[in-house]
Order: sequence, then C-alpha cells, then structure tokens
Amino acid sequence: MSKPAVAPVYNNRELSWLSFNTRVLEEGLDASLPVLERLKFIAITSSNLDEFFMVRAGGLQQLLLQAKTEADNSGWAPGELLAEINRQCHAMVATQYGCMMNDLKTRLHDAGIRRLHMNKLTPALYEYLEGVFEHELYPVITPIAIKGADDLPQLPGLTVLLFVRLKADDAKAKKPRYAVVLIPKRLGRFITAPIEEGHNYVLVEDVVGEFVSRLFPGEPVAEVVPFRITRNADMGVREDLAGDLLRRMKDVLVARKQSNCVRLEVSDAVSKTSLGMLTQLFGVNADNTYLVPGPLDLAAYFGLARMTGFDELREKPWPPQQPPAIPPNGSIFEAIARKDILLHHPYESFDPVVRMVEEAADDPNVLAIKQILYRTSENSPIIAALARAANRDKHVTAIVELKARFDEARNIGWAESLEQSGVQVIYGIKGLKTHAKVCVVVRKETGGIRRYVHFGTGNYNEITARLYTDTSYMTCADDYGADATAFFNMITGYSQPVAFRKLEAAPIGLRARLLELIEGETLRCEQGQPAQIRARINSLVDADIINALYRASQAGVKIQLNVRGICCLRPGVPGLSDNIEVISIVDRFLEHSRILYFHQGGDPLLFISSADWMPRNLDRRVELLVPVDDEAARQRLIQNLDAMFRDTAKARRQTSDGSYVRVKPAKGAKPFRSQEWFYQQACEANRTAKSIQPQVFQPERPGALKP
Amino acid sequence: MTPPSPSEPARPATGKDTPAGPRLFAVIDVGSTAVRMEIAELLDNGAIHTIEQLHHAVHLGKDSFTLGRIQQSTIEECVNILKNYRRVMEEYGVTAPNQIRAVATSSVREASNRDTFLDRVYIATRINLEVIEEAEETRLTYLGVQDILARHPELQKGDLLVVEVGGGDSELLVVQDGFVTFSNTYRLGSLRMRETLDVRHTPAARLYETFLKHIQLTVDQIHRSVPVEKTACLVAISGDARFAATHLVADWADKSIARIDVKSFSAFARKIASLEVDELVRKYRMSFQEAETVGPALMGYAQLAKVFGVEQFVVPKSSLRHGLLREAIGSGAWNEGLESQLIHSAVSLGHKYSFDERHGTQVADLSVRLFRELQPDHQLGVRHERLLRVAAILHEVGLFIHSRSHHKHSMYIILNSDLFGMSRSDMNLIGLIARYHRRAAPQPYHEGYALLSRDDRMVVSKLAAILRVADALDRNHMQQVRELSFARARGSFTILVHDVEDLSLERVALKEKGSMFEEVYGMKIGLEVATSNEGLMPDV
Repeated sequence: MSKPAVAPVYNNRELSWLSFNTRVLEEGLDASLPVLERLKFIAITSSNLDEFFMVRAGGLQQLLLQAKTEADNSGWAPGELLAEINRQCHAMVATQYGCMMNDLKTRLHDAGIRRLHMNKLTPALYEYLEGVFEHELYPVITPIAIKGADDLPQLPGLTVLLFVRLKADDAKAKKPRYAVVLIPKRLGRFITAPIEEGHNYVLVEDVVGEFVSRLFPGEPVAEVVPFRITRNADMGVREDLAGDLLRRMKDVLVARKQSNCVRLEVSDAVSKTSLGMLTQLFGVNADNTYLVPGPLDLAAYFGLARMTGFDELREKPWPPQQPPAIPPNGSIFEAIARKDILLHHPYESFDPVVRMVEEAADDPNVLAIKQILYRTSENSPIIAALARAANRDKHVTAIVELKARFDEARNIGWAESLEQSGVQVIYGIKGLKTHAKVCVVVRKETGGIRRYVHFGTGNYNEITARLYTDTSYMTCADDYGADATAFFNMITGYSQPVAFRKLEAAPIGLRARLLELIEGETLRCEQGQPAQIRARINSLVDADIINALYRASQAGVKIQLNVRGICCLRPGVPGLSDNIEVISIVDRFLEHSRILYFHQGGDPLLFISSADWMPRNLDRRVELLVPVDDEAARQRLIQNLDAMFRDTAKARRQTSDGSYVRVKPAKGAKPFRSQEWFYQQACEANRTAKSIQPQVFQPERPGALKP
Repeated sequence: MTPPSPSEPARPATGKDTPAGPRLFAVIDVGSTAVRMEIAELLDNGAIHTIEQLHHAVHLGKDSFTLGRIQQSTIEECVNILKNYRRVMEEYGVTAPNQIRAVATSSVREASNRDTFLDRVYIATRINLEVIEEAEETRLTYLGVQDILARHPELQKGDLLVVEVGGGDSELLVVQDGFVTFSNTYRLGSLRMRETLDVRHTPAARLYETFLKHIQLTVDQIHRSVPVEKTACLVAISGDARFAATHLVADWADKSIARIDVKSFSAFARKIASLEVDELVRKYRMSFQEAETVGPALMGYAQLAKVFGVEQFVVPKSSLRHGLLREAIGSGAWNEGLESQLIHSAVSLGHKYSFDERHGTQVADLSVRLFRELQPDHQLGVRHERLLRVAAILHEVGLFIHSRSHHKHSMYIILNSDLFGMSRSDMNLIGLIARYHRRAAPQPYHEGYALLSRDDRMVVSKLAAILRVADALDRNHMQQVRELSFARARGSFTILVHDVEDLSLERVALKEKGSMFEEVYGMKIGLEVATSNEGLMPDV
C-alpha cells in the first residue's frame, strides 16, 4: 500500500472497505472450504463490489470532478485515493476471476457442475437450446440500435447486456452499425441443460449470442460481446423539496436509471473496435473499465451455490434452533411475560419474532401494533400479519422506510398495499432514515395495559435472518414499553422527543451517550478502577467516537472491538491506541449484531443497538441504543462477546499498519470457531430444554373428534 | 381539624369487585407553550399508571400575550396535534367523554377568539376543551402535589410555598401545617414576560438583567400580598422546574421528588437565562418554545425563593396533569382532603376579618344539615352544598366593616377574595348567598344578581333561604342547637331541636327570617322542642 505523506491516524474508509472485501474474497480462495461455499464467497465479493461502485466510487469521482483536492483525515487526496482504489479493485477482480476460472471451474466441473459452451454441444443439445431461444427468449429480448453517445438509449445498470457489431457493408460504404441486446433479468442467468448426470448449465447470454443474427435479418454480425455497466446511485431524495415523499422516491428510481456510468465490465474477448466504441458511449476511461476472462456478474452465482442438491459440496448446514425460552405451541406473549427473552439469530430461529406479530394480529386482546419496516422480504409474513391486524380493527402503525437503499421499489409496493388495508403508514422522518428495529404490541390484560416490545439489531426480514447474525431482545417491562411507545410517538410526529427512561435514540442522544459511556470508562481508569470496553459492530468511521476511544486507550482502558467491515480506527499504534484490539470475523453467516459492553467498575452495562458507529448512523438516521437489563440475557451477551474474541478460526486481527492478519490458534491447539460454537450452544440449549420437558400423553377423547 | 391526606381511591383491590367504570383515562393540557397529553390507567391496587406522555410545542401564548388572539395558523397547528392525540387515545379505546379531560389555561383564557378556538377543536377532534379559571388551576395543581405531600410528611411541617411559574401566569399556594391557607394567581409568566418585554433584539448578555428587573418588581408585589413572610421550602411545579431537577440531581429519575439547595438552583437559573435560545436548543435538546421560557421561569422561582427566604427547593414529578388525572379517575374530585382545604381557607379568610368562628361554623353545619334534608325539594348537588357551607362560614365577615348593611360588606369582601379551589363564578354565588342572609330578598336590579342566569338565581334563592333559617337557629351565637330532626306535614316543615329548653329567641328570629324559605320552598317553617319520644324517631 503506498503510504500518504502524513502518518495516518485513521484508516481511509474506502480502503478499509476494500480490505473487508478482500477478507470475504479470502474465504473464496480458502482451499479448505467445500467448493460451493467458496463459490458463495466469490459471488458475495462481486455483489459487494457492485454496491461499492454504485454508492462510493461514484461519489469520489464526483469529488474529483468538483476539483476537490484536500486530503481527508486519513491523509488521502481524492485523486490519489481514486487511483489507489482503482488499482486495488482491478487486482481484486483479477484474483477473483483467477480463482473462478482456474481453481473453482475445475473443481465444480469435477463435481458435476459444468458450464457448457455453445460451440461444444451435442447436436441434440444445440437443437434444444435453439428451441429455448426461439420460444422463450426471442419473444422478450429487445435489440436497440446504437447511433452514438449523444443518442444513447436508456440501458439498465448491473444487467448483462450484449453489444453487437454488425458488419459494415463495404459496397455501400456505410459505417458499421452497432446494437445492444437487452436480456430481461427475469429470464434468469442460467439455462439448465437436460442432461441427467450432474448439473449442466448454459449462460443465457451465450444462448442469445449464438442466435443473435436472427434479430438482425440481412445484416451479418461481426461481433457479439457481453458487457455490464454500473451507474452512480449515490443520490438521496431531496426532502426539502415540495411534493410527497412517495412520488419523489419514484423520481429517484428514475434518476438512478439515468445517472452516469461509473464502471464498465466487458468480456476480455472484446475487439479493440468494440471496446473503443463502448468506452466512448459510456464515457469511461481505462481505469473504470474491467476486462474479465469469464462470466460477468459473478454475484449471480450466489443462486447456483445455493441450489438444491450437492450438499456434499457444502458445509453441514446449521439450521436455526427453536429457542428453549419459547415453547413451540404456547403463546409468545406468555413466554415474554414469564421472562425477558434474548435471541441470537440465526443460530436461534427468527420465527418467534414473526410469531409475535402474527399472534398479535389474531389476538383479540391486542389493541395496537407499531412496527418499523426497513428491508423486508417479498411476501413477508410480517407485512401480511400487519394487514390482517388492521383488517381486524387493531390500530396498526407501520413506519416504512422508503429510503432503504436499493429496496425503494419494493418498499413503495408494500407501503401502498398496507395503506389499503387500513394500516397507518408513515414514511419515516424528514431528512432521516429510520433504521431502528423495534416492534411494540399493546395488549389489554386483566392487570392493565401491557406492552410487548421487540428490539433487534437486524431487519424484520425472515430470509436475511437466516444468513445474518443478529440479536433480538423481547421484553414487556414497563420502562421499555413506555420508551418504545414514546419513540414511536416521536417518529410519527405525535410528540416531540421526551426524555427516555432507558433508551437512547439517534440523532438525538445516542452519540452523546456513547461518548459519555466511553469517557466514563476513561475517567474510571484514570481513577485507578479497572476499565474495559467491548463492542461488536459492523463499521467504525465516526471520528469523535474514534478519538474518544484513542483517549480511553491512552488512559489505559482495555478495548476490544469486533468490527466486521470498515474500521477507520487504527489499533496498537504506540502512544495512540496501544490498548485497542480490532478483530473482524468473516465466516458462514454475515456478522451483523451490534452489542456493546462497558465495564463500569465491575457492574457492566450491556446494550444492543441498530446503529453502527458512523456519522450517517449517528447523525442522519433514526437508531436505537437499548440497554439489556435481564441478568440471564446480560450473561449471554457477555458470553457471546467472549466467544467472538476467542475466535482463532475465522477472525482476523488488524495490525498497527491497518492491514489484517488471521488470528492463529496457539501451537497445538484446535482452532476455535465462534460461529460454530454459537450453533452448538443453540443446539445444546434446545436439547436440554426438550429433555427436561415433561412427557405428557394427550389422550384422544371421543368428544374431541366430533366436528 | 386534622391535616388532610389524599383519600385513597375507594376501589377495592380485587378485580372481581371492581366497578365497571373506565380504567383508562386521557388528560390534555393546552398550555401557552405546549400541548401535552397523558394517558394513564387505574390499577387494581388503586395506583395510577402512566402509559403515554406526549407533548408538542405551540405558539398559543405568543399569540395571546402579544396579539390578544390566537392566529388561524396556530389554531390549525393545535387542531393537528389534538387530532394525533385523538388517534393515540383511540388506540387504547379511550373515547368516552368520561375518560377524557382536556383543559386550556391562560393563553386560551385570555384570547379574544377563544370560543372560535374551542369550537374548531371540538368540530375537528370531538375533544371538549374546557377553559379553566385561575382558581381551578390552583386547585388542580394542589391536587397534583397532594400525594407528594402525603408521601413526604416532613414537608407538611411548617410553612410551604407551592409555586407553578407557567407561561402566562404563576400559581402560588401557601401550605401551613398541611393546610392551604392562601392561594392566588399572578400575572408572572415566563412567556408573557418574554413577549411583553419584547426582548427579541436584546443580546443574551443583557437578557438576564432585563428579566431580573421585571421579575423583582412582580415578585416584590407578590411577597407583599402573601400573608407569610418567610418559608423554608418552595415546591416548584412545572416542566421548567423538572428540567432544572434533571440537571441538578443525578439520581432524580429514581425519586419522586428532588431537593435542591437554593444556591445551586439560582446559579443554574442564571446560567440558563444567560444562554441564547439556540444554544439551549442545541445543548439541552429542547424545543425552541421551551428554550424561550425556561430561563425566565427558573429566574421566577429563584427570585421568589429569595424574597421568601427559602432555603430549599423541592421539585416533584407531578404536574397539573396529575391533578387532572386524579380528578378524571375520581380519586381526587373534591375529596375529603380538598374539602377540608377549602373550609380551612374560608376560616382563614374569616379570621382576617375577625369573624366569630364558632358562629360561622355552627351556621355552616346547620345549613348543611338543612340542605341535605331538603335535597328532594331543591334538587341541588354537592357543589352547591360546598358553596352554601362557605357562604355560611363567611356570612358575617362584613361586620368587620360596620354592622349596618354588614350583609353587603360580606358580599364585597367575598367577591374580592380568593378561596382555595373556588372559581370567580363560585365566589360570585358565595358572595350573593352571604349577602341574602338577612334583609332584602333578591331583586332583579341587585348588583351581581342581575347578571346571573335563571338557574343561578334559583340557586342563590334556595341556598340563601336555608342560610337564613340556619342563622336564625344560632341567633344568640351560643351554639346551643346541636341535634336536629325534622317533621314534614302537608305544607309545613318543622325543625325539631333536641336537648334545648327554650327556643323563644330562635322562634322570633325565624319569624323574621323564615319568610324567604316559605316563599322559595312553598312550606311553612316551624320550630319545636323535640319531645323525648320524637327524639327517637329516625331523622329521615
């Protein structure tokens, strides 16, 4: 890494992000992993890069266009930084394709997963695919004539397109004609060949490419080459403008389709002429052009990696366990009323959270449900339950965050359908994204009104809840209920912020509270008390927080941070951050929980949170910091933190130069893999609960059989 | 009399026997800087459990105190807030009129278009917003702190100043040995001050001095009007006081009251009052409306503390809304505690004019006895009984001026006094009842009486007629008449007096004073000594 002139105190956030993606890529390169697991990591690396180009690189290029030249706090000036990013991205893509084309391709082939090429097919198969083209592809693909950069038609980003060069007709001295063929995304990337043995697929662009001349009758095709463009998506909604948010969000989606191209990916088989034409058409230079030796859009292979069958090519699955605190048949409200419940997903099932909303919808004692929806699955059972509840005359309030990036289109869909069923839908707060994850169920019970609250670190999305590690805390303690309701009153605009009893919310008090907690440890340490801070977060960017942590380290506070992604804090720098340890775990599940620990002289405070330590989370999002009071839940969080920092299998430690090295087990010791341990814990808890459950036989009585 | 204690809610602890009355209540307080709502439920053990607290800043006071009216935009702002509150209430099924109490204070009270405002609110939200008078505000405030006083008996020893510096007015109560001996409302308001002093262009550095001058002047006037010179303790009620407590008392969240020494409180007040509004907003995360009033309000408390020689501030967590809640739930509506507060404050007023306490109390007791006996005839309720009792206690205070026309003196003394929890219109009725305890019967041209509604005129006549009879029964001011029973025959009503030999003086008096009774109730009134036999009859 080329060093900037000034000794950096902070890691650059873009480079730190790239370093995270390198760690993901490492998993893909890890020969000890089964091949489909590796393929999955290669796909994730690609999908991550897509997002990086869409939201970060675009912004940086913009900075450069605005001739901003000052260095940021990590010492990088935009020009140099962009060059470094381009260098690293190109290297990363090269490694990725190197692995894919040399290593994985062979292994997959040997295991029976084969990509077939059009020029090496049996006649029967060729005929079959010709039929597929004629009947299924031809009717829906669209060729578009390309006249020049000034008259470029609307082309979708992140989609594999075909660039077609038609032969110039020398006799009539015409210029060559160009066209682009759009292959609708819904056709899928892979066409399965009807071969019994193994899994044989052809890429859809290969099939279309083979028969592309049928789209241009009478014009010989000189070249057909797949390419893909990435557009700058870094444009927020201007909320200060008049008009309603829903309409403006639709405008953003249109604008995103039209924004400038920040990356061009082309098959390396492209001719010089066509490449020249493409770079000119999309206004990109060599830095932003990626010539790849294999299939474009490796993210699509995520689907292939997850297809049914071939389990021997994957690690043994870790299916979510039924949490012992929640009996499968009893009421979830009774379970919460008995005891606060802490869940660790996806080792423990997300079902209880979905069930809480579903039971609430059907429970005649429930008066109201309030819920924040940020990113939700398609056909979400939670949304269905909310609509059902509203149909049953319960008061349902849904804060639907239209601004959740890339999910806008889907979000607009629910929002409208929820509104139609009578749910009061609120589109977040002006100028802020609502990122907090909280759901309140108001229930009328014999003892009075009781509020059941779920706080989470992840979205209400039962699909991602199987892939991301998250924490749920469910309680009906009055202080939490009162705070959660007050929080909803605040976001719905019913009330101005009131002082919370337990919670802290961004952008009001969360940042101040965090700083206060960090400074509290610093003070205690200075007064000779033992002091310790531990955190599991996804990103650490905020300079105020980092500086506070540096001061704490200098005072002697022991700080352990488990930061999955971007970490601008540099640990272990003599005199600056000697007492800080930063690890990052990249394993089967995406680390996503936010758990905080402050030692407080031996009476530790534990929190879960929706917020990462980034300015955008602390200043421009609505986030929550939730203290966990229940003793058993606290012990469990502490235990979980312990396990993470003990990881010697999938953890990497950041060194004082900002790079990451794998944490190795002590000589002779077995590596400790925290995610595996969590899974085993969940299984064990489930087994224990089952074994102590009294066996009661339920006789079938005659009366019960009557209709 | 023993110091009052807040009456425990009379509901039984078991769910089975709980009356089917509402358990959830909403109270709304439309103040000069904010509209606040609290939703609470009554638990089986009688405790009140707060479920939701909402507040929203408004410009009501700004409009009223500068323009004298509420602007259309402000009306709509309030309507929108109340519509949202309505939604929250509906979530809990709080929709019946007896579950909702919504009151507005000085800023609406003083607005020339208050009726337009109230109508608009009602039409848009079906919330019946009630403008409460100053005295009512004081009573509710007291109701709010009542249980705090009960829970902290040490506060009841000695004198106590209970103050709420609001946006428009300040309420002040003097509590002596647990009794409210004085209460009044003063036009010292944090927002009123800011608006009338027009400090928009005053630099922050001079702001403190400007407010101080104004506050000192008003506070001196207040000090002179209050019958107590020094109190050791000041109970400060209001959001501003609670704000100070949050910042001065570390573990305030876990306590029901905060105790702050005067020095720290005053220093804090000075610090806050010297900060620019936007600085306050940024630093303390408050709304602009709150930021504009918190400084002057805290200074108001601090200055009052100074002139009264207060040593300690007590800030309870309760507010006017707690009073409203207690009243809505029924545990506070003129409970015994409040009733004895009122009697005590009437007696204190009487002493100010050297009245014959024993006669006043005797006549009051006899009046109430008669009032209850005659309930089927007059069909009046407890509020009227209360008015009659107070009028009876005070009917002769006018003697302080002169014995000639003393009934008229009684009336204007009463009209120009404040009694705990009595509104202006209550005082007007009390004054008239006292006035008609002797001499001329009510005439349409009599001052005060002329403007009464038909119903209120009837009330005055019915109650004054009773008062006259009761007064006659203690003609000699000897409190001889103790035990009564009654006998009714066609067209006559006879009072039977036990254990008294000679009633000739009383009979003469009754002849002189009973004619009004006969006219109003349509019954001849008689007075007899009860024979022992009759004395055994149940006096139903």
